Amino acid sequence: MPLADAAKLWRPAAGFALGCAAIAALTWFCFALDARLAIVALLYMIVIVQVSAIGNVVPAVALALIAAGCLDFFFTVPIFSFRINAPTDAVVVVAFVSTAIVVANLVRRARRLAEGAALGEQLQLVIDTIPAVVWSNLPDGSTQFLNHGFRDYSGLSAEEARVTGWLNLLHPDDRASTDWPAAFAAGNGFEREARLRAAHGEYRRFLLRFAPLVARAGGVVSWYATSTDIEELKRTEEELRQRETYLREAQAELAHVNRITTTGQLAASIGHEVAQPVAASVTNAGAALRWLGAEPPNLEEARAALSRILRDGRRASDIIGRIRDLVRKAPPRRERFDINDMIVEVVTLTRAELHRYGIAPQTRLAVGLAPVEGDRVQLQQVLLNLILNAAEAMNAAGAAPRDLLIGSDTDEAGGVRISVRDTGPGLSAANRERLFDPFFTTKPQGMGMGLSICRTIVEAHGGRIWAAANEPRGAVFQFSLPREAQTAAA
Amino acid sequence: VARQRPLISIVDDDESVREATKGLMQSVGYMAEVFGSAEDFLKSRQLAQTACLIADINMPGMSGLDLHRHLSASGKPVPTILITAYPDDSVRTRALESGVICYLSKPFQETDLLSCVGTVVPGADP
Repeated sequence: MPLADAAKLWRPAAGFALGCAAIAALTWFCFALDARLAIVALLYMIVIVQVSAIGNVVPAVALALIAAGCLDFFFTVPIFSFRINAPTDAVVVVAFVSTAIVVANLVRRARRLAEGAALGEQLQLVIDTIPAVVWSNLPDGSTQFLNHGFRDYSGLSAEEARVTGWLNLLHPDDRASTDWPAAFAAGNGFEREARLRAAHGEYRRFLLRFAPLVARAGGVVSWYATSTDIEELKRTEEELRQRETYLREAQAELAHVNRITTTGQLAASIGHEVAQPVAASVTNAGAALRWLGAEPPNLEEARAALSRILRDGRRASDIIGRIRDLVRKAPPRRERFDINDMIVEVVTLTRAELHRYGIAPQTRLAVGLAPVEGDRVQLQQVLLNLILNAAEAMNAAGAAPRDLLIGSDTDEAGGVRISVRDTGPGLSAANRERLFDPFFTTKPQGMGMGLSICRTIVEAHGGRIWAAANEPRGAVFQFSLPREAQTAAA
Repeated sequence: VARQRPLISIVDDDESVREATKGLMQSVGYMAEVFGSAEDFLKSRQLAQTACLIADINMPGMSGLDLHRHLSASGKPVPTILITAYPDDSVRTRALESGVICYLSKPFQETDLLSCVGTVVPGADP
């Protein structure tokens, strides 16, 4: 730092210059007055003391030598010569020089002491003011120094604190659980969490950080410790963790409830779905009987009616099979399946419910998609939820037209992407961010669990779920699944 | 065939039901035509000849009840039987108030449907 160096040089240089000027002036003055040698020496000495007070020892010593030269040249016999005739004069000059050097040194040392005291005071202030409990201790753990924070926190006086020591502030368990002697013996800085006793006897958690002061010869001379109160931090952290646990439990519970509720809603809808083939069967059977009872019997028409009954019967039993799949309380299963088959099934199951809302679902399914591995029923639940949400959104908003498009395609990563597009009121930017949060809902009677559960399921399959705006209006919900899901949901 | 047999038009988005109903109507000697939606029926040539309309209530687009009301309002009322997989008392009431002949919930007995048709259309042969 050239600037700092310049500033450092400035003071001694100025002191030296002033000293030289003063000595020159004194020399001229005393010479003119023909002052005595001892008086002149004394006056010179005053100048040197002043200079060493302003500058430092080097200019003072240099001035002392110059002053000695002046004494010798101007004030000892013979004058205007460096020779000295009288031995007493020589003693005076030598005594002057040595005294000057001693005085310059003394002044310097006094100044250093004063500066040190000021610095010490400042450091003490800093250490006392920082918001931490600070102390230093010897390698054996005994307390050396402690700050105001320490006394404040412990409620002990400086003397009591020194006697009690930081070790006695530790919670007995923390004192026992950490091998303090070993930590100090290792000689490296370390940190520990420990409880410290406050003034009223309560314990609060602190982060203790220890740094060693190592002697030049090796070995730790003392330890410096700062301790930060982390009680609030810890509590917040614990609260957060607790809340997360509750949430996870509640979510698992609600996933089950949701499934039962959805199943219940669907049961009604499926009832309608089954009603169609049953109605057709009864009608066909009536027709077949009449064709057979005609004169002559029309066997061809009767056969046609009977084969329609067969077809309707199969349709009804397919629906029943799917209901069984949906209602079965099976543990998560991993199976490989074609996502398009799953989509078609869910769309079939919801068709009746959607008709009630005046919605005819359309599908746009890509061919040659990678097979998906995971829990088919759980993923059905996700799609079901998205479809029913879309229908409710369009219905609640009285939207027209009510277009619902369910699509599948391959995503950028080679997995599959399923999308549900509606022409409902769409999503506000604010809602879009929180949609998948538990208990977030835009429905008056909604619990806000559906999408949160969907996300849990999709993520458990290694996938991702998100929502965006549909063009020209409405919303599109999509989820993607990797080529082969790593884990099925727990 | 000496005389024109009455035409029954069936409007239902469920293919099984509309084909079965068509078969039943033919088995008792009516003529029958099927339509997948109310809109298709309204556009068809058969609209004018229809003696009786059997329509599903719950369909994408125009519902069976709306179709009936639309025909009544346009001055060309067609005797209508409504069928539904979603029996609902309030809808039933509204339907009957609108002048619908019968309101049947799926699955229904084919004899019930035939007797409803019989009240508006002179019995065909069998």
